[in-house]
Amino acid sequence: MTAPRMLAWPALAALLYAVPAITSDPYVLHVLVLATLWTIPAIGLNLMMGYTGLVSLGHMGFAGAGAYLGAVLMVDAKLGFWWSALAAALGAGLLGAAVGAICLRFRTHFFMIVTLAFGLLLFSVFNNWDDVTRGAVGFPGIPRPPAINFGETTVRFGPLPNFYRLALTCALAMLVLQWLLVRSDFGRVLMAIRQDERLAQARGVNAAAYKIAAFALGSAIAGFGGVLTVSFLRVAAPASFNLAESINAVLIVVLGGAGSLAGPALGALVFVALPEYLRMAAEWRLVVFGTLLVLAMRFAPDGLAGLARAAAGALRRRGGT
Amino acid sequence: MLAAIAEQTVNGLMMGSIYVLVALGMVLIYGVMHVLNFGHGVLFAVGGYLAHFFFTQLTGSYLLAIALSALALMAIGVLLERAVFRPLAHNLRNQVIASLGLILAIENLVIVLWGPNALQLRLPANAVILNLGPIHFSLLHALTIGVTLLLVVALGAFLKYTRFGTAIRATSQSREAAQVVGIPVTRVYWSTFAIACGIAAIGGALLGPLFLFFPQMGDVPLVKGLAGILLGGMGSVPGAVIGGLAIGVAESVSTLFLPTDYKDSIAFMAMVVILLVRPQGLFGVRVRGEA
Repeated sequence: MTAPRMLAWPALAALLYAVPAITSDPYVLHVLVLATLWTIPAIGLNLMMGYTGLVSLGHMGFAGAGAYLGAVLMVDAKLGFWWSALAAALGAGLLGAAVGAICLRFRTHFFMIVTLAFGLLLFSVFNNWDDVTRGAVGFPGIPRPPAINFGETTVRFGPLPNFYRLALTCALAMLVLQWLLVRSDFGRVLMAIRQDERLAQARGVNAAAYKIAAFALGSAIAGFGGVLTVSFLRVAAPASFNLAESINAVLIVVLGGAGSLAGPALGALVFVALPEYLRMAAEWRLVVFGTLLVLAMRFAPDGLAGLARAAAGALRRRGGT
Repeated sequence: MLAAIAEQTVNGLMMGSIYVLVALGMVLIYGVMHVLNFGHGVLFAVGGYLAHFFFTQLTGSYLLAIALSALALMAIGVLLERAVFRPLAHNLRNQVIASLGLILAIENLVIVLWGPNALQLRLPANAVILNLGPIHFSLLHALTIGVTLLLVVALGAFLKYTRFGTAIRATSQSREAAQVVGIPVTRVYWSTFAIACGIAAIGGALLGPLFLFFPQMGDVPLVKGLAGILLGGMGSVPGAVIGGLAIGVAESVSTLFLPTDYKDSIAFMAMVVILLVRPQGLFGVRVRGEA
């Protein structure tokens, strides 16, 4: 990595942290919070779909499992936010490992159908298990994370700018985690499985174990994102974790660029901010994104990150000659 | 109790017929083109809305409206095959993701055109109650089951006895071999899509007057249709019929014994269990190293 590129990422992060200082418009911050909150489960799905080749149609079900587990721990068991979030991520990860062990007995279409079935099943549990999840009306009264003391100053996460910084920190942490995973030996094995599973197996890779690990990891990250999301909204509703949302997660990863590090963040930003910027009516927004998804499959299967890479490559070639 | 079971069985056969109409199209497309079209549920809904539109705005005859809606959906099917699925052939993952895009685009286009609220349509056939001994059901129930049976028989005869039907079956067995003996594979592909979408449209048009027309009306039939396909065996047309009917009857009768909250979950559980125990379904053959 060249020096300017190494500096580009911290500069971008610093700019994102500075947004509340530049504008105090709650509308802008709200949009950015939603984008960062979408980024986290998208990173989980990117590890599964982009790096390992596992297209899950029930991803947000695991985000919901984490969210509801976190909500129950916080509200009913009076556990602290961060411990609850950790437990929720672990719980969603364990569920992901168990479900993954079943789903991964299947390939291609069958894998997708089974993940779809589990996503619907999880939604049905959120929607109907009234005693625990409060059913279709939603789980109210979920607290924001507790205030943190930095020496003299106390930072509360009720105000929007502070919650934005917190969500941004969490999303960046997950992006760093993704980066570390992808360039580790573990990540290389996942990519080898995506490219040619049989070849990887022939080289002694236990593909099943690695795929279950990827499924569990992706679900755990989604579960953490789910807790953060319901803490922002102060309520967990089944509709936040239904099939439509799982499809949106796939959409975000694909539009951003499946199998690229920045893809989930790019996709989430475009998915949340573009319709706001264009002042699009709510219904048109998904008409446009659905069409974009179809077009992307045909013309830009590597998403925005792929387009950016291609553009950069073209520029470099032009500069070189 | 026996009467209740019998009545729920008729209800189940009616819902099962709807699932069959979705499942048939998906099985045809899967068998011939080897792609699973998750967008089939929204096409089902569009079929329902178009039938409603043709009935209220154009003709006064619901049968004619159904026929027009089926024709319109056949045209849409040809268009989708040409514009979306053909260019993505040989890339299964991209085809499925594109079909997810179709779900988003079409479902929300329906909301743009017709609004998010459900439309109601009461036909004279809703009000006519048939009595079969102790069992009572509406004429529309009987018509739904009857039309489905007719379509299944017609499709079966078409696939079995006509030249083009044979070409479709040959293509589904081996695309390369079909091409070698001179079957116009491209034409088989778009015709299959047209037939599948036309059948789905009839399903939507029949379900609408029984309940309501709403943008997500195809979601449940899609999932239940999938469950039916898995039960019957991927790629098997008779399997899709029996599987769809079985799912419909099972969930309908189960409401007598189990809380209705979890009615839908039963089908999802069944899907997973079927795949684990017998991935090839009742009638399917395990092909191409898929499961």
